[in-house]
Amino acid sequence: MVSPDTLATVDSVLWLASAWMWCGLAVAVVFLLWGIDRVEPNARGAYAFRPLMVPGIALLWPLVLGRWLWLETDRVNPFSRHRPPRAWHGRIWLVLSIALPAILVAGLMLRTAGPLERAPLQIAPPAGESQ
Amino acid sequence: MSVAFIPVQWNRSKWVYDAVLLGAVFVYIAAFLHWAPGWTEVTRPVDTAILRARAFGSCAFFMLTVILCIGPLARLDRRWLPLLYNRRHFGVMTCLVALAHAGFVLDWYFAFSELSKAQGLLVANTSFGLGVGFPFEVLGLFALLVLAILATTSHDVWLSFLGAPVWKALHMLIYPAYAAVVGHVAFGALQDQTNPLFAVAVGLSAGLVAALHWAAREAPAPAPTPDGPWEPVCPPDEIPESEARIAHLSTGERVAVFRHKGRLSAISNACAHQNGPLGEGRVIGGCVTCPWHGFQYRLEDGRSPAPFTETVPTYHLRLSEGLVWVDNRPNPPGTAVEPLALEADNENA
Repeated sequence: MVSPDTLATVDSVLWLASAWMWCGLAVAVVFLLWGIDRVEPNARGAYAFRPLMVPGIALLWPLVLGRWLWLETDRVNPFSRHRPPRAWHGRIWLVLSIALPAILVAGLMLRTAGPLERAPLQIAPPAGESQ
Repeated sequence: MSVAFIPVQWNRSKWVYDAVLLGAVFVYIAAFLHWAPGWTEVTRPVDTAILRARAFGSCAFFMLTVILCIGPLARLDRRWLPLLYNRRHFGVMTCLVALAHAGFVLDWYFAFSELSKAQGLLVANTSFGLGVGFPFEVLGLFALLVLAILATTSHDVWLSFLGAPVWKALHMLIYPAYAAVVGHVAFGALQDQTNPLFAVAVGLSAGLVAALHWAAREAPAPAPTPDGPWEPVCPPDEIPESEARIAHLSTGERVAVFRHKGRLSAISNACAHQNGPLGEGRVIGGCVTCPWHGFQYRLEDGRSPAPFTETVPTYHLRLSEGLVWVDNRPNPPGTAVEPLALEADNENA
């Protein structure tokens, strides 16, 4: 039985997700009909690719709005385009090389059918002895 | 390159790549559905709907593993580069396979109650404080969301609009997504598997991905030199004709120093398209050609030949003490810099 509180929380999450997507679709309409021509020279006169952008804008509309504003106000550093975020690679993989085995070992240890689980603990005497 | 965007820039190699990929997915799914029932215990038969979910789920996991292996493999050995060229198609197909997995799961486990499927998925297990019975579905949901974001932003227009660094940072979400998928498998499918084959395959996959990234990791930036902005690269003779040496600067940036017809030129090592390593490319027809997707730049000004409009920063060079030195302050992208005439400077030195 699902508690009313849990169901209310889940309904709120789903409502927020739905609202997020509707906002994204609204941003997609404005951006693809008007904004993209202002900030993306290679999009001018090209229309067939635009529907492909709709799902991405629906998911990432705050990022799209921020980048649009950034480009409109000409605040893009011309050098930043050539500075890939390489430094993060090493750190991410240092974390993952520890995390991935840890996750797998934890999953195997929690299994109830081996191979790494702890020996079963008898929490009550056998039925025959207790009677 | 920088011409009007179209939905997909198909060419023969992309058709072949996608056909092979689609064929491999089909063969894997068919083989799984054919053989997997034989691996289950006779006393615990698995429903066809669950088998389908597992077939597509495991396929997505292995596809994601291959995708993550392609980058470091291409850095370690250039023969893997053809796999890198159309990796975005691979990613989109992985997302579709993962969506099919999610669809089968929703249609079987969460389709027969008064709640909607989405409600059922989110309320079925909220025991986040437990180890045994941890709600692994949420890990899969997170990974699926990331795959959807990466697939829907895979078109070139996103690269151009966001800029390669932002786009690449966004696409680095693939790493936490992979960790989430491993958790999704470890706390989900592996919990009731009696055949060790899948557990071993998952362990080997995760180990391979981690080991390859470790083997192909980037070296840290060198310490600044006492010579101000000028940093040493190498003796000029070490740069082969029509190829480059890549200098790793103390600023953290990389510069590709090319030798072409007895003259040296330096441009950013990061291609304007996807930040591919220009220094690993060759000079073809007087232009540096990116080894990833073939974008080209003139050596003397870092500009793509007409009608394309991409530009990369250029750098000043000098010869001193038998070494090539580079000024670590980049010129604005597309700035013309007179190439350093090697023979003449050697005679003057």
